[in-house]
Amino acid sequence: MGKLVDELKQDIQYQHGMNACLNCGICTAVCPAAEVYEYSPREVMNICHTEDEEWLIDLLKSDKIWFCGQCYSCKPRCPRGNSTADVILALRRLSVRHGYFAESEKGRQQLFAKRVFGENMLKRGYTLTAENITPEHFPELGENWEYYFEHMKEMREWWDVPMDKENSAGSHRVIPEKDMDELRAIYKATGAIELMEAVEKGMEKKLGSKKEVEKYWENWLETADSRTYEMKS
Amino acid sequence: MKVTRENIIWESHQKHVPTIDEEGGKLWGCFRSCFLQSAAPYTEGIAYKILKNDLGIDLREAAGHTSCGAIGYHGDVTNIETQMVVAARNFAVAHEELGVDNLFSFCVTSFANYTEMIHLWEEEPELREYTAKTLKETTGREFWIPHVSGGRPSVVHASDVFYANRHKLAEKAKYSLKGIKAVDHIGCHYGKIFPGEAMGGVEFPQVLVGLLEAFGAEIVDYPERRHCCGMGFRQCAFPENRDYTASSTYKKLASLKEAHPDCNLILTNCPGCTVFLDAEQGTIKEVLEEEFNVSILDYAQLTGLMLGYDPFKDCGMNAKVVPVEPLLDKIGIPYDKSKTFEERRRPF
Ligand code: SF4
Ligand code: SF4
Repeated sequence: MGKLVDELKQDIQYQHGMNACLNCGICTAVCPAAEVYEYSPREVMNICHTEDEEWLIDLLKSDKIWFCGQCYSCKPRCPRGNSTADVILALRRLSVRHGYFAESEKGRQQLFAKRVFGENMLKRGYTLTAENITPEHFPELGENWEYYFEHMKEMREWWDVPMDKENSAGSHRVIPEKDMDELRAIYKATGAIELMEAVEKGMEKKLGSKKEVEKYWENWLETADSRTYEMKS
Repeated sequence: MKVTRENIIWESHQKHVPTIDEEGGKLWGCFRSCFLQSAAPYTEGIAYKILKNDLGIDLREAAGHTSCGAIGYHGDVTNIETQMVVAARNFAVAHEELGVDNLFSFCVTSFANYTEMIHLWEEEPELREYTAKTLKETTGREFWIPHVSGGRPSVVHASDVFYANRHKLAEKAKYSLKGIKAVDHIGCHYGKIFPGEAMGGVEFPQVLVGLLEAFGAEIVDYPERRHCCGMGFRQCAFPENRDYTASSTYKKLASLKEAHPDCNLILTNCPGCTVFLDAEQGTIKEVLEEEFNVSILDYAQLTGLMLGYDPFKDCGMNAKVVPVEPLLDKIGIPYDKSKTFEERRRPF
């Protein structure tokens, strides 16, 4: 058994999510991701089951592990009590820790996940903030959303859900600094900061420099499409 | 056959949620949803009004509680250890600072996240020890686990509280859904991760159907009823992945329309479904020139309408992609017809 397989098997989520896969394909039959992508949860479970180091590395470098929508439709259906959704989470973290995520197009989107969900948590205590749901990145929300976005503060007052109130209860409030400090201490102690840093490091290694990582990020903010950034290799 | 099976499953998937007539059922602590407060803030607004004003609940939330962080967990920026300690911190804050024992969350992913952590603590004593120790070291707080449902370690979802008090709400209703066809769409993270924690399980979840029936609706069924809306965390979050979301919504709505062309109401309890099942109808209209015109309402929005709250100012219907007026007309709910479509939606 190789080192990565060993590391995967240490993950409690992998231990709980992977019993024995009988290769029946029920998970793939119900999976919404399998319907729109070249993706099959059964295949993922099979590769893990072989405990083959080379195959595992290929999987960690591929787009496949990033296609899952984390809906858990597969979990209650599996006759063996497996949860591909949980196995996927263990695989993704392994891929990030070892920098393999940066080898695939969908994996590189982890930079946005880190800079949006992760940094929001550390700055505001929320994974998402009102400012993230821009009409440019969410055009399907339509013209009424554009109107709302331009009048965000007033609209929220009008709806009785005012935002950014300090030290108060309520929606989108400003969380007191002492509580934010506790949250940051938890993120540090439980390895989340390290996991996030691995994303920046992995991207830097793949793209060549910190400057290129910023270019990749700026391009995404502007075009809302990471594929418009030209990869050198 | 179906009825028998349904009954058996129902028996084994009952969970108790204290009603306002029971001990402790009038004092609740709650956790806000970062998804809702960003993409559909009015839904928490109307839920608050109903719980406080109409059910008389003493609803408390600590200024210092944070998001559970589960969007980041299913978006792969945190470890399971992070989720455990953040959950324990939010529980401790609610219990110590607000003196509450009963807790619910507004987000189904938070509900699943807290449930997952509680299960882990039950199954793996060393993780429980780790959590208590790390919580103490990082925050100085004491580890405490809520026991909301039937004395078991558990939390519930806001829609469970609505369900538990549905008959009280129906008694106060100004309008009825008699003659209206409707169907539920349960958030995947409400039932599929821990079916035993869902009201009615994952096969026959009753949490929304019960509410719809209490208001008199006729429930319909369709083949893709349990298919995911396609929110998918990183799939909806990044525009380049959102064809995933639109395709899932399309699959569901095409299936509903084939089975019941006259059903124009889907009731939801998950922030993701509430936003994207509605919004992607806009994409589908633009790209495929197909219109479904199915109103996607959250359990609190629908209850608000039934109780006579203003559809726009209180229930936030002005931010929906699918126009709500045809549904309001069908139910017989009045709104200001002297104003134009735009004026009703744009107050400033
Ligand atoms: S449903 Fe379970 S047993 Fe069947 S292929 Fe999927 S993981 Fe394996
Ligand atoms: S959790 Fe992932 S693998 Fe499972 S059904 Fe959903 S998209 Fe497919």
